[in-house]
Amino acid sequence: MATLRDRTKEKSAINTKQIILWISLVLIVSFFLAPILWQVLTSLKVNADISAIPTVYFPTRFTFSHYLELFARRPFILYILNSALVAIISTLLCLTLGSPAAYALTRLKLPGENIILAGILIVTLFPYVLLFLGLLEIVKAIGLGNNYLALIIPYTAINLPLTILVMRSFFQQLPKDLEDAAKIDGYKIIPMLLRIVLPMTLPALVTTGILTFIFAWNEYIFALTFITRDTMKTIPVATAQLGGATLFDIPYGPIAAATILGTLPLVILVLLFQRRIVQGLTAGAVKG
Amino acid sequence: MSNDSLDGREKLIGWLLLIPALLVLALVFIYPIARAFWLSLFTENLGTQLQPEFSGLTNYLRMLGDGRFWQSMGNTAIFTIISVVLELILGLGIALVLNQSFRGRGVVRTIAIIPWALPTAVMGLAWAWIFNDQYGVVNDILQRLGVIDIGINWLGSPALAMTALIIADVWKTTPFISIILLAGLQSIPQDLYEAHAMDGANPWQSFSQITLPLLMPQILIALLFRFAQAFGVFDLVQVMTGGGPAGATETVSIYIYSTVMRYLDFGYGAALVVVTFLLLIAAVAITSLFLKRLRVS
Amino acid sequence: MSLTNFLIKITRFTAQKAKIYSFLLFIGLFLSLLPFSLLPVFSQQPVQIKTLMRADEAQQWQPLVNKFNQKYPHINLEVIEAPSDSNQVEDLYTASFLLGNSPYDLVYMDIVWTPKFAAAGWLLDLSDRLSEQEKDKFLTGDIQGGMYQGKLYRIPFRSDAGMLYYRQDLLAQAGYQPPETFDKLIQISQDLQQQGLAEWGYVWQGKQYEGLAAMFVEILEGHGAFWVDAETLEVGLDKPEAIKAVEFLRTTIEQKIAPPGVTTYAEDETRRLFQNGKAVFLRNWPYVYSSALNSPIAGKYSIKPMVHAVGQDSGATQGGWGLGISKSTKHPDAAWQVIEFFSSENSQREYILATGYVPSRTSLFNDPEIVAKYNYYPKLLSVVQNSALRPPIAQYAQASDILQRYLSAALTDRMSPEAAMKAAAEETRRLLRSK
Repeated sequence: MATLRDRTKEKSAINTKQIILWISLVLIVSFFLAPILWQVLTSLKVNADISAIPTVYFPTRFTFSHYLELFARRPFILYILNSALVAIISTLLCLTLGSPAAYALTRLKLPGENIILAGILIVTLFPYVLLFLGLLEIVKAIGLGNNYLALIIPYTAINLPLTILVMRSFFQQLPKDLEDAAKIDGYKIIPMLLRIVLPMTLPALVTTGILTFIFAWNEYIFALTFITRDTMKTIPVATAQLGGATLFDIPYGPIAAATILGTLPLVILVLLFQRRIVQGLTAGAVKG
Repeated sequence: MSNDSLDGREKLIGWLLLIPALLVLALVFIYPIARAFWLSLFTENLGTQLQPEFSGLTNYLRMLGDGRFWQSMGNTAIFTIISVVLELILGLGIALVLNQSFRGRGVVRTIAIIPWALPTAVMGLAWAWIFNDQYGVVNDILQRLGVIDIGINWLGSPALAMTALIIADVWKTTPFISIILLAGLQSIPQDLYEAHAMDGANPWQSFSQITLPLLMPQILIALLFRFAQAFGVFDLVQVMTGGGPAGATETVSIYIYSTVMRYLDFGYGAALVVVTFLLLIAAVAITSLFLKRLRVS
Repeated sequence: MSLTNFLIKITRFTAQKAKIYSFLLFIGLFLSLLPFSLLPVFSQQPVQIKTLMRADEAQQWQPLVNKFNQKYPHINLEVIEAPSDSNQVEDLYTASFLLGNSPYDLVYMDIVWTPKFAAAGWLLDLSDRLSEQEKDKFLTGDIQGGMYQGKLYRIPFRSDAGMLYYRQDLLAQAGYQPPETFDKLIQISQDLQQQGLAEWGYVWQGKQYEGLAAMFVEILEGHGAFWVDAETLEVGLDKPEAIKAVEFLRTTIEQKIAPPGVTTYAEDETRRLFQNGKAVFLRNWPYVYSSALNSPIAGKYSIKPMVHAVGQDSGATQGGWGLGISKSTKHPDAAWQVIEFFSSENSQREYILATGYVPSRTSLFNDPEIVAKYNYYPKLLSVVQNSALRPPIAQYAQASDILQRYLSAALTDRMSPEAAMKAAAEETRRLLRSK
């Protein structure tokens, strides 16, 4: 008897636990997705439905005109290309500079290693607004205004700490025997790195690369300050600067469409590489 | 070839591998901060035809009487504390849920990191639209629920604008915290809980006696990162309210940005950078002291 | 599905098709033009002149831009659209000049930006390009607003000025003449409110933004007070007359002449109140006049210069937009041709007729074509000629933000007028002395 009562108690406990779990799941999913879905819906509504009161939740008419307007009134393709170009180049540069540095900090016992690592950690905490004034002077001094390098160099730098930390935690897990064996075989360090370590590093490079790409794509304050030529702007800045056709009229439809276009590549990245992103972030933040 | 010279060569190569990265870091992180320290001793603004003139500590003295600077500090503190605390609580809750096993866990985990990956400036526009006073969906829902009669001007009144900013920030950065905490949760061995349960502990006890203490390092790390980021919040505010209404949401970073880019007051802007930097370093030092003590014990 | 529904769907479908085709055409054009942009050296390209302005005004400019480009084939004028917020446009210009190598040859600027851009050395001195004779054809305030330290940097295109709107019908009904002084304005307001003729007496812009500073300049002027003397950099905000100016605004709130929400109103909120017949007096810009023509109060209102204290004169805050030439442009002469074209009488006439803005040339206020369309423009001239400048100092933006903060604190009762104006004056002095 007693055991039976216990079991039903347990069962109902499991049931309430399940119910709570599912309710919280629904809440989590809707909290995170609702703003994005709302933006998708807005971007497809006709203007009359966008400014309808009460709000239209299930429009009967859909339109792509907001998307077309973006391309017709503004060089929106260029904005996307600019963002992609800057993000890809700075990602590659960051990996090329960051991985060797991470290797050096893991394997080649350098003096002052800990100080360097601590410095790299602290630097990740600097808000960009503390940097832009000094960077502005550099950009002015060497005439880098309206040059993609004015974005590529800072983006490389702001992603270097994360790259170094993630790659370092990867190298730490790599068995050292392989490299020792390679050395006995007479490999010098750099050829060994290129031929033996690099191929094994590829998954970690992809992980890091995705994170750097995301950060570079999303960056706002430098892009706002160092690029003033309309055709060279990146997506976040260009979207924030969309103007209305009449005063007091904010073009909600086109802004929503631009939001979707600007975030789509990232949503796809997340869908494809969710696991890697989580790995990379935790490696960068926790193990560092 | 002796072992010593081999080591020496290895070290040399090590530095060669390291130095390019360090140079870029120094250029983008160290130089601007150092430069701000130097520039803060000069007056360089429209009054001096944008030429630097040495003025000692004038900029710092001016800051003492600058009501707007203190207001922006206060706003930043309010924004940082409320949003980070909310994010921590929510992030922990979400991490606990995502740590359960259930069907479709992968999908939910994916959804739960999407906001983190999206551009803040762009999603700030989306949130501004959600909080729009006339056509915003928040007002519509509240009206349908009968909470309010007429639309609230969310971004037009001081306290509500701050609320809207905090909600948007919580949406955007809670995923980061839950990722970090989830990793921490997964590293706690399951048998600890089982042993604890055998001793007759209820779920709340095992949460407060096992989960929280073991998760503390991750919580502090997440706090540290989020604190620094929230303290420097720029994109979200610039896009959603621009610091308004009436400066009620103006954070330090917005003030620094307009001092430099709008007023062209470079010397004073540099002094603002220096003070903000020092405050941030102090806060970080305190937090990492806690972290160290925790790791030792 | 009904037939009409079907027809609507068909037309919408074809319209979309057309849009898609024009989009494809655009891409095609874009791709085919790409090689040309890569080889500018080999072909005789027209000189490119670029400028930036709010997206809404860029649209209004388009007909004139087309006309210009046809008339001057060797120049290609391109207007780039900016967000619909003037502050953002100013920031975009500032950022582009600060970086050097600015993409803009022409600067379309609000009157209050001129000193800043000129002091920073970003504008070409245009003093020699405009003869004295030509200068006299523009409104004095507009020309003065384009000067910085004795040199001319901005040629006015369209003007703007603050003024008092009043309800002719209500005043006549109660047997009043339009008021000349602050006291009279208060008295009439209270009387009409008591008689139940209007809900509110006087509405103005009390929100903390540039409009507040612009409005306050008129109240200062009317009290014989001043904000900053541009010559001596003396600050007058804590003088007794200036404090009286703040007290006048406070009185309108305390006596319920202005609605309690007035401290959050910008131009458009106040316009709506007045247009819906809720207020007797309104302080606003000229655009309200044409907008109110299609409202319940059509034909029942008029304009006059702002009221003033006994023994003082009134002043209308000078606004308006004009063109300057960027110092970094490679084509100053082509840019000047654009300015000449746009500030000319013919272009202004065409623009004013299409948009209802205020011209910067005196003659156009009595131009038969314009008067035929806007019969109140001769009346407008008397207001506009009576203008007061916001301090033409390089640090205007900063000074204005200081004033806005403290004035708003005083209006919302967070500080007393004396304390607020004292603090504002001191902060402004610190700013201007910080050389």
